[in-house]
Amino acid sequence: MSEYNSKELRDFLRSYLSENLAAQGRDFPDDFGDTCDLLLAGLIDSLGLMELMTAIQEHCGREIDFDALDPEQMTIVGPLCDFVSDQMKTFQSDEKLLV
Amino acid sequence: MSLISDGVANKMPVLNRPNQGLWTGFLRSAERFPGHSAVVVDGKKLSYGQLRELACRIAATIQSRTDDSTPLTAVFAYRSPVAFAGVLGSLLAGHGYVPLNRTFPIERTQVMLERSECQSIIADLRSLPQLDQLLSSVRKPLVIVVPDLEDSSRLRKQWPMHVFIGSRDLVPMNLWREPSVDPDAIAYLLFTSGSTGIPKGVMVAHRNVTAFLEYMVDRYHVTETDRLSQMFDMTFDLSVFDMFVAWEAGACVCCPSQKTLIKPAAFVEEMGLTIWFSVPSTAMFMKQLGMLKPGRFPALRWSLFCGEPLPVSSATAWLEAAPNTAVENLYGPTELTIACALYRWDPLHSPAESERGIFPIGYPYPGVDVLVVDEALKELEPGQEGELLMNGPQMSLGYWKDPDKTAAAFVIPPGRSEIFYRTGDVVRRPVGNAPLTHLGRIDFQVKILGHRVELGEIEAVVRDASGLDGVVAIGWPATASGYGGVEVFLEGSTRDVGVLRKSVGSRLPDYMVPRRFHFFDRLPRNVNGKFDRTAMQDLLKEGL
Repeated sequence: MSEYNSKELRDFLRSYLSENLAAQGRDFPDDFGDTCDLLLAGLIDSLGLMELMTAIQEHCGREIDFDALDPEQMTIVGPLCDFVSDQMKTFQSDEKLLV
Repeated sequence: MSLISDGVANKMPVLNRPNQGLWTGFLRSAERFPGHSAVVVDGKKLSYGQLRELACRIAATIQSRTDDSTPLTAVFAYRSPVAFAGVLGSLLAGHGYVPLNRTFPIERTQVMLERSECQSIIADLRSLPQLDQLLSSVRKPLVIVVPDLEDSSRLRKQWPMHVFIGSRDLVPMNLWREPSVDPDAIAYLLFTSGSTGIPKGVMVAHRNVTAFLEYMVDRYHVTETDRLSQMFDMTFDLSVFDMFVAWEAGACVCCPSQKTLIKPAAFVEEMGLTIWFSVPSTAMFMKQLGMLKPGRFPALRWSLFCGEPLPVSSATAWLEAAPNTAVENLYGPTELTIACALYRWDPLHSPAESERGIFPIGYPYPGVDVLVVDEALKELEPGQEGELLMNGPQMSLGYWKDPDKTAAAFVIPPGRSEIFYRTGDVVRRPVGNAPLTHLGRIDFQVKILGHRVELGEIEAVVRDASGLDGVVAIGWPATASGYGGVEVFLEGSTRDVGVLRKSVGSRLPDYMVPRRFHFFDRLPRNVNGKFDRTAMQDLLKEGL
């Protein structure tokens, strides 16, 4: 299993969103960064965000417990990426223990 | 010919509740349960008494400032107390309401406002930035009520043509006068995708929606102890079920914020919901995200889905999470008022009755007549496939100020004397007591993530933006419940795709904006010289 970290996830998020936005004829925002709220900035709607979360799961190859994330935080780039990479680290250390 | 001037009302079956407006049930519940919660929204609880007071003050304000020349008021508010009070306030002023949505592209909202000819708007505080944009295109004076704005002097200064009313200027409740009930008056005007590029406004009358509510409240035994979800935005007519079924019975509507919509499972638990209603896509994503843990929603008694075909796999996962619930699939176009047929899942018979892993449409509501017809609108034999036509007390008044489109969709089939609505859905005429099953569409209307989309509307906008005449929109890729998006084929020399996307994106909601544009010198055509959509789909399948 490859190493997941916040940077890798941020890159994934960036390419996922830029593809989505380009498909809608919209520009990728200049101020995209850790404090960007995807929902409030109108970059994605609520069903789109659930779709994004399934894409993140697929990308990571594991089921992620999104229930554990505060909904106020989960639409913001930084907290979302940190949360997912923390979950992946937990999985990885669990796997090592099992081995 | 407009249906209203045509006197369609007289041809309808006898009304069960001729003297009820859409607001009547709410007022009755407010008398019985003034202290009960009517709505939970934006972290606030509004009791029936509080909601009635705010709605009546809004209504009295509108009554004092507008004449009766336009029967409609726009509600430009989103998941806020003002949104709910605004819907009721419009109705209590004797107007139909026109829901507008600040998350839609502003140009689309401008078209809706202009076409509806509203004289008044009720807006919430958080929609004010978009309201400024909206007003930049308005040429007629409007009465704009912003009930949660204390000081409206900035707006008055910026837009001197319009009248602004903030919280301090709302008329007291005791000046409100209940309007007389006209069962044929418009209760709400809801815009749906139109094939010519302009959204169509469906006129739903009070008698249409009260007939619907009467059946729903009775069928689901809704009481003052129930708690209903409000997953739908008010620009989606299924939201009418959430609000008015709850308020008929004295129950509570629980409206998640835009952010909470992303964690629906936690919302069901925190709110103690007893009745759930959403598009099937929500259930599908919840399943994929592991949110449907077995036994998680024990309090849910009813789980209802509508808006797009319901995959059996999503419903089965839902039933495991909600062991005490019954699952029903509701079917109905906006023109037939929210829903007019339904199907309850039954583990014994349903697997055999479902085709291609999709729930049947089911059985029509009481009083709804069904015809399955061929291209000449002649009724087919049982077992044959054709277009579904329906009528009954829920058949709406037609399209606002559009007699041509109304006449094309609301027709009298040969050998019949009553008007039927052409749903455009292909079904099999049931044999015996079998349910109706959905087999596809006869036209180019598709479902994208639960949204009803006319491919013709996208084509019209792309034609206009590109200056090219040969434009074909194709739903792609196919999903269990419709399509994931749209791709467009254009005939002619290549255009700057970035510019094209921007122009199209400013006029259509995100889900309707084509994901890709494919330019061809000549598009594939069939033997009749028509664009060959199947050939274009094949190109996409081959990985174009």
